[in-house]
Amino acid sequence: MTLESAAPDTGAAGLEARPSARIVPGVDANSYELTDTSMYQRYWDEMPCYLSIHDRDFRIIEGNRRFREDFGERIGQYCYKVYKGRDSICDNCPVEATFADGKNHPSEQLLTTGSGKQVPVMVHTTPIRDAAGEVVAVMEMHTEIDEVKKLQDELRHSRERFAQLFEEVPCFITVQGPDRIIQHANRRYREVFGSAVGFECFRVYKHRDEQCLSCPMTDTFETGRINDYEASVLSKDGEELNLLITIAPLRNPEGVVDAVIEMGVDITQIRELQDQLTSIGLLVGSISHGIKGLLTGLDGGIYMVNSGFQRDKPERVKKGWEMVQRNVDRVRSMVLDILYYAKDRELIVEPINLGSMIGDLRDGVKKKAHENSVDLEFHVPDQVGVFDGDPQAIRAMLINLLENSLDACRMDGDKQRHRVDVRVKRSEPWMVIEVADNGIGMDRETREKIFSLFFSSKGLKGTGLGLFISNKIVDKHGGTIEVESEPGKGTTFIVRIPLVARPSTTVDGELAGGAPGIGN
Amino acid sequence: MEIKRVLIVDDDPDIVDYLGLFLEDEGYEVSSANRSSSALSALDDFEPDAVIVDVVLPGKSGLDLLVHIRQHERWSEIPIVVLTGNDAIVQDKGKNYLAGFHLERGADLVLAKPVDRDALVAVLARLTNPHGLGACTE
Repeated sequence: MTLESAAPDTGAAGLEARPSARIVPGVDANSYELTDTSMYQRYWDEMPCYLSIHDRDFRIIEGNRRFREDFGERIGQYCYKVYKGRDSICDNCPVEATFADGKNHPSEQLLTTGSGKQVPVMVHTTPIRDAAGEVVAVMEMHTEIDEVKKLQDELRHSRERFAQLFEEVPCFITVQGPDRIIQHANRRYREVFGSAVGFECFRVYKHRDEQCLSCPMTDTFETGRINDYEASVLSKDGEELNLLITIAPLRNPEGVVDAVIEMGVDITQIRELQDQLTSIGLLVGSISHGIKGLLTGLDGGIYMVNSGFQRDKPERVKKGWEMVQRNVDRVRSMVLDILYYAKDRELIVEPINLGSMIGDLRDGVKKKAHENSVDLEFHVPDQVGVFDGDPQAIRAMLINLLENSLDACRMDGDKQRHRVDVRVKRSEPWMVIEVADNGIGMDRETREKIFSLFFSSKGLKGTGLGLFISNKIVDKHGGTIEVESEPGKGTTFIVRIPLVARPSTTVDGELAGGAPGIGN
Repeated sequence: MEIKRVLIVDDDPDIVDYLGLFLEDEGYEVSSANRSSSALSALDDFEPDAVIVDVVLPGKSGLDLLVHIRQHERWSEIPIVVLTGNDAIVQDKGKNYLAGFHLERGADLVLAKPVDRDALVAVLARLTNPHGLGACTE
């Protein structure tokens, strides 16, 4: 029913239906201070529910239009008769309860209309007081549960829509309290970081046991400001991710920030590209430095060859020529090293006798170990035999691991003597190389990052390239590299390389075709 | 004319051989040390007229050695030529690095690798013979 069509009707009914005029004998109508009774009358009538006013005897002394439509002109009758067809007051009557304590007593009821139709309703009761504050009547509001249901459905639907939005947004979203415990996490977050709800962010993101030193959330909780920052975090599988994170405050009804919403966007690939560019810059620097040294050697060799011929000194010519050859060799291996950083170099696979390779390395590394007061022992069984691999790469990997172990010993001031043990064993189908030190050791965070490009725990001494390359070399051989470490106790690297090369490294590789020892 | 002596401090035996032969061809007497620590005793034993130092050395670097020599009671005034493949050191003549040590005098010459032989002999002649032709007038 529209307002226009209701208007004349209301006007006519207005005077006689004015609730205050008839409520209770002896109550002064002016105490309601209705400035425009006809307007309120209209709202009263238009309410899309049953409204009725009851006196202390449970008689209905007023009803709105909807009431009159469905229950008829029943003013003056007992409510239990009108609504339920009963002859006595109902058990747990909410009107009675409201007369007793002046409070709302909501309940669900089943009404029977004038036409005999049953209507499930939500009932609310409101006390009507006189000027002295005495409850003189009670208003009952019956809302059809179907209506409530509809509203509830709408609410549920919009909640679901927001939940779906929260769930499906293709970035990482969490809601966290001041204790840093994750209260909600969306699907993408759970997929990558596991079921993190109930845990602190630093455990989930950083695999740490205590809060990070500088936590951007602190500022958002204290000032309510939005904070943007970039962070390197670890997935549940230990994969390193770069996230662009925004933290925004969530305020409670009092306006206090009692939670924050954190949104993270994965920018790992962008960072990887930037890292590659940086690494190219870094390479150019170190290459040019290296090349100058090699040029000096070549220059020297050429000078000695030339001046040897001029002065007829064959010894000098010989020495100069050797110098040229040596530096050309250095250029070659330097180029191969560069290729490891710059692009995937094909392996040149041939049978490697690990015993003799270690024999070649032994003296040089032992000397270095000795200078650092480290006892270096090689445990290589005589019958360890050969395996397929790229000798240059395997050698570089071994030296990297050994130097890393020596550094770990040198950085550890707690022990008087240090030792590094290299154990080699043949364990079908793998060649297993273990490099164990009792140096400084690593915590979980360091352990999970050591194979990343440019991650170094050695300050200025480390470039963050060595273990990255080692990992890459082992990976290219189809092997695995594992690390066991505990802070203060030491570190063990366990490298497993297949004894027989994977077909792809021997057949597909252009360079591999010309290498000796292939195809047997 | 007396024969001048040059001490070469470099850990690369190729460079030591090459520069040694070259400077001997040019009329110098040459000795060498392969690290900073042995260079100091070589100074006392060999009593050179000039020192050539590579920047990258095992243990203490060539620049550390330079600072050490400049603060040495007996050798603080000896001419020093620094060799380096690092452009930054060449461009600021090693001054940035040495600034922290408040040295009035750092290296007499910083030469980039690969070494310009003509520049090296010219500067050695000037440095080891300050009163002769081409003496430093700076």
